Amino acid sequence: MTKISYLPGRSGSPGTDALPPLAESVDYIASLGKPTAARVLTDARDAGRVAIQPRCGVGGHEEMKALLRELEEQAAPDILTLTIDSHTRLKRFEQALRSLNRAPADLNGYPLVSHGYLRGREVNESVTAPLEIRHGSPDARILFDVAVASGITSFEGGGISYNLPYSKAVPLAESLAAWNAVDTVCGELAALGLIVDRELFGTLTAVLVPPSISLAISVLEAVLAARAGVRCISVSYPQSGHLVQDVAALRAIPVLARTYLPPEVDVHAVLHEFMGVFPKKRGNAEDLIFYGALVARLGGASKLITKTYQEAFGIPDTRANVEGLRLADRANSPLLGFVKADEERVADELSWIVDEVADIVEPVLAAPDTMTAVVDAFAAGRLDIPFSASRYAKSEIIPKRDAEGAIRYLSTGSLPFGDRTRRRNSELLEGAGPKGSGLKGSGGTGPVIGSLLTGLTDDINYFPTLFGEMQKETQRATQKETQNEDAE
Amino acid sequence: MSHSEPRRLVILGVAASDSHAVANHLIAHALRGLGFEVENLGTCTPVEEFAQACEEHPDAEAVIIGSLNGHVHEDLRDLPAAREAGRITCPVIVGGNLSVGSRKDPRDLERLHALGVDRILQDPAQLLPALDELRASRTADADRQRLPVAS
Repeated sequence: MTKISYLPGRSGSPGTDALPPLAESVDYIASLGKPTAARVLTDARDAGRVAIQPRCGVGGHEEMKALLRELEEQAAPDILTLTIDSHTRLKRFEQALRSLNRAPADLNGYPLVSHGYLRGREVNESVTAPLEIRHGSPDARILFDVAVASGITSFEGGGISYNLPYSKAVPLAESLAAWNAVDTVCGELAALGLIVDRELFGTLTAVLVPPSISLAISVLEAVLAARAGVRCISVSYPQSGHLVQDVAALRAIPVLARTYLPPEVDVHAVLHEFMGVFPKKRGNAEDLIFYGALVARLGGASKLITKTYQEAFGIPDTRANVEGLRLADRANSPLLGFVKADEERVADELSWIVDEVADIVEPVLAAPDTMTAVVDAFAAGRLDIPFSASRYAKSEIIPKRDAEGAIRYLSTGSLPFGDRTRRRNSELLEGAGPKGSGLKGSGGTGPVIGSLLTGLTDDINYFPTLFGEMQKETQRATQKETQNEDAE
Repeated sequence: MSHSEPRRLVILGVAASDSHAVANHLIAHALRGLGFEVENLGTCTPVEEFAQACEEHPDAEAVIIGSLNGHVHEDLRDLPAAREAGRITCPVIVGGNLSVGSRKDPRDLERLHALGVDRILQDPAQLLPALDELRASRTADADRQRLPVAS
């Protein structure tokens, strides 16, 4: 592989000064002869099928092209992904370049800024599906500019959802301003005739995220994006594992869009196949993958982000990624029209979700400046996410699975919920909470630390437990321990 | 805990190279539910940040450090220096590794004590008794030395 010995750039912004003007990139994208991601999503929705997309990204340029080509040849996903490495996510472009030159296989994604937009275009031209950038940057301005110059038409992230789960000490005002800049460029591109799909990261920390939290954060990010000029928004939601709750959450997305967004913005529902602890056994993992794909179909999602049977073990190899895509696409089969959700229960759950989202977002949207209101609300806990990596969310809310496995609020923290919502959550969790915790809403007394942790650990290990893998693991661990003792 | 008792403040955080947030947030939540004030420094907290928090909160009764990724010895390399400089004077409690069936090599625990760790907990249920015990023994020490009791 050719070494890159320098980064073109000015004032510490490698890779940006050599970029073509936006109009040139728009012409380039038109000349590519492939649809934009926004077009693919609309076509999928019109055709009544769920578009399929993998996660994938490797450090080396040739390796990245080969990976995408193989995924396309073997599984023909509707949209392909460039997952970006962690250095680039944090704007550590020099470190990304050093790793790229020394050992590209050590990078956990494709360092697009270090490779530069000309290589980005080569990657783009190597496949027929449009590409999306997936990363985790609180400030993605440079990465976005290089992505647009590379002809990439879908870009994931948002000022809240790509900050709180990923960074410890980036103030929300900074990430919101950086993403506002990205969204403003999307508006400029829309004026030039190019619709960029901006996907929001509703998965957040991926651990037991209550649907109304995921959707409320996405509504706020979507409102800000629409005001900045974004015309296509994908709202992603992480599968909780409970059929009625997940179908209701996905169907709530167009309802919320009609309530909070202007009609000229096209909004798509996207399902992330289960993002938590995956079962280890291949058959069990594949059951969960297929189940997720059926949920996406029933929920009317435009797109599904897939998992693989190697999920429990780390980043999958190409073979597993291909198998995951093929399996998920089986749920699009016309033979499966008989699979239905309980419509009455879905409608009831949907109305609760929409009400909870309204309680959370409406006070923020009523304030004169939404970005300032978001920052203030997080500081006060009126906006919150569970298990935040960032100190800029209080994480006073504690989720818990109810007896059926749906995710509820064990503690609603300082969220501005009404009594009705609080009462429903406590009622649904009656008997499901840790014994003797005394936790009812946020006014709990002394929860027993051990049982609280054990209860939540069980919820986190929901699927391995459901498939009976946890018990076997305990036995194996005990056996191993006995063997170790024998060896000593 | 009744309102007449003095406040109990602890400093909580996860070791420098560890980004496991779940147990950290649950422990903070549970301790607050028990009436503690919790200065939660969150994930990926270097010794320097614990030391700064101790300086800001001289009445903290303990520093509680969680670690789940096996790097705790390396992460606490700067603890002896912070102890020696008098920047962390309250007891230090380390706990973590919730995985079932894990084995602790006694030598690893000795190494942690040598770094200046007072208590090593295998189970979060041990946390409250440990805090109570450490507090009682400090109060007893203070009484013996006829010093005002730190509250």
